[in-house]
Amino acid sequence: MKLPNLNKIMERFQSTEKKESNPSVFWSIVRKEFTDYLTSWRIIILLLIIVLTCVGSLYTVIVTIKEALDATEQAKEIAKDSHLFLKLFTSSDGSLPPFITFVTFLGPLLGIALGFDAINSERNKGTLTRLMAQPIPRDYVINAKFVAALLINVVLFFSLGFLVMAFGILLLGLPITFEEFIRIICFLSLCIVYIAFWLNLGILFSVRFKQAATSALAGIAVWIFFSIFYNMIIDFISKSYLEAVTSAEEMVNRQGVLLNLMRLSPNYLFSESTTTLLSPEIRSLGPLTMEQTVGALAGPLPLGQSILLIWPQLTGMIAATLICFAISYILFMRQEIRTN
Amino acid sequence: MVKKVISLLLVLLMGGLTVGTVTSHADVTVYTPLTGLSVTPGEDIEYSVDVINDGNEIEHITFDVEGLPEDWDYSITASGSSVSQLSIRPNREEDILVAVTVPLQVEKGTYEFDLIANGNGDNRDALPIVVNVTEEGTFKTNLTVEQPNMQGHADSTFRYSTTLKNQTAEQQHYSLISQEPQGWNVQFKADSKGVTSVTLEPSEEKTVEVVVTPAENATADSYTIPIQASAGATSSEIELEAVITGEYGVNLTTPDGKLSEDITAGRDRKIELVVENTGTVDLTDIQLNSSTPPRWEATFDNDTIPTLEAGQSTTVTATLTAPDDAIAGDYVTTFRVETAEASSEANFRMSVKTSTTWGFVGVAIILIVIGGLYYIFRKYGRR
Repeated sequence: MKLPNLNKIMERFQSTEKKESNPSVFWSIVRKEFTDYLTSWRIIILLLIIVLTCVGSLYTVIVTIKEALDATEQAKEIAKDSHLFLKLFTSSDGSLPPFITFVTFLGPLLGIALGFDAINSERNKGTLTRLMAQPIPRDYVINAKFVAALLINVVLFFSLGFLVMAFGILLLGLPITFEEFIRIICFLSLCIVYIAFWLNLGILFSVRFKQAATSALAGIAVWIFFSIFYNMIIDFISKSYLEAVTSAEEMVNRQGVLLNLMRLSPNYLFSESTTTLLSPEIRSLGPLTMEQTVGALAGPLPLGQSILLIWPQLTGMIAATLICFAISYILFMRQEIRTN
Repeated sequence: MVKKVISLLLVLLMGGLTVGTVTSHADVTVYTPLTGLSVTPGEDIEYSVDVINDGNEIEHITFDVEGLPEDWDYSITASGSSVSQLSIRPNREEDILVAVTVPLQVEKGTYEFDLIANGNGDNRDALPIVVNVTEEGTFKTNLTVEQPNMQGHADSTFRYSTTLKNQTAEQQHYSLISQEPQGWNVQFKADSKGVTSVTLEPSEEKTVEVVVTPAENATADSYTIPIQASAGATSSEIELEAVITGEYGVNLTTPDGKLSEDITAGRDRKIELVVENTGTVDLTDIQLNSSTPPRWEATFDNDTIPTLEAGQSTTVTATLTAPDDAIAGDYVTTFRVETAEASSEANFRMSVKTSTTWGFVGVAIILIVIGGLYYIFRKYGRR
């Protein structure tokens, strides 16, 4: 499917002589890739699954909240102070998991699906060498593929998020506060960063593995490992690790170690960050001693403090995303293309 | 012969009649055992009197009381009804009830009167009765209070229990008047309802509660409040005394009244506190202390104020230090000011901000990665 499209691009730029960087060339490749994604059945099906599950979970939450709101007048007053809009993303009525669970689970799949055959399919079809024969810098290919996939994510999540806000206002009849709005925007950006990580992982595998199937399986293996098996392994370790604990201080320390092990998983980082962003009541992510909690008053944190709380997680996720991209970039740039 | 017999019979009859007339002089007798009672003014005396007919014919008896002093009153009843005449069959007796009312205004002493029973013809009997009035009778109102002096703070309420007694012979409507100092409030309560007047029957007494609320700014002093119950001709007055003692009061606040501050974990924060003497007496040896969450520290630039005049205030600076591992969000910290007599506390809501140092480290890491990426772009990008 990609072959004729890329050929068209090549034809278009055959006339341009200069090999220097040309932004319009870069954006043409991005536009082409974007169109390819939107017309590929694989991506359409995935997007549909994500949209349907998320809309489904949001709808059940809205209905539940609306019922609770209509029950009494008092509920409305309470709701105004309790960041109700954020609850749309984090709570569920039990029949469907909440929005963030779906994003945590399906987001990586979307990222991998967008990235796993970015380079190796071009290579296998022989289009990469032909593309490289054109007067465009080599890194335009990998950069444009990454940017196009990222754009798909941005469009998907921002439209989902704004739709939820709009339906929330319409169905609940409550205005959204500025802080809630900013928190939701931060949450959506976080989703994009998270999926960008998996996307880069997919691209990395697509550069490294010659076969698209290998890279897809490798990506899915990593995804399943972090979604399912990593928790099991940590549980298994914690049982023996926490067994012979004598003092409370040691317990806190060991819990901290386990928590840091958990944080090696991007899924865990993401869920920690999103719950903190969407539940302002969360004040700490690690184990707490009694000393720290005595005298503490329950109350929502300001946005700045919430972000400061998850700053290490954010740093880790953004850095991991960029490092993944850097590795695939170097690999791709140093690869011999013309051999096959 | 016959004439003789008839004349003899006549003589006999006449003689019998003559004998009957002689004995019939003492046919009616009145008797009561209680002929010398001691009473107090205003009291009713009831005599149960037996009226005895010893004669052989029906006696129609009327009663009279002779020698009863002026203003004294009496009534005679039999079987529950007032009687003016009593008829008694021969050799029978009847009970009557003689009620004598002793007036309130009567002098102490012994009074005598006779109860007269007038029978048929000149049949009559007099029963002398002596009444000993043991007290001087009065026509007056009596307002009394058991405890006229009370002590308290300016914000306390004084409750005096007074007794109003109508010692006149008539029903009286008493209006209750008080002359309190300006700003004071006096309320009368009878049967726990607020009243301005009470009505009392003769000899009736009632407890009237006087509720005195001092003026808000009443200074320490002794105040006299005259209370008067007056009803036309008669009145009675008492003086209640309320002693206001000095009040101790201290208040802890901040110059602008704001009781919340931000603090960064691991840093300290200076908080200005204002100690006010809100009482009416000088305070001495004022101690400042605090209760903070564990491992927080609070110090004061001077934790003892030797003396603070009434109405004055002074400023103290507290330095609060949060531990490094304080979690972001709100903590409560209480500052307290104490003297032997009064205390006050101020609850502060301390919003803990976490240090942004690690935030900058995070930014630095990302910048390094981006820098590395840029370097890679430059190195490999334009082949």
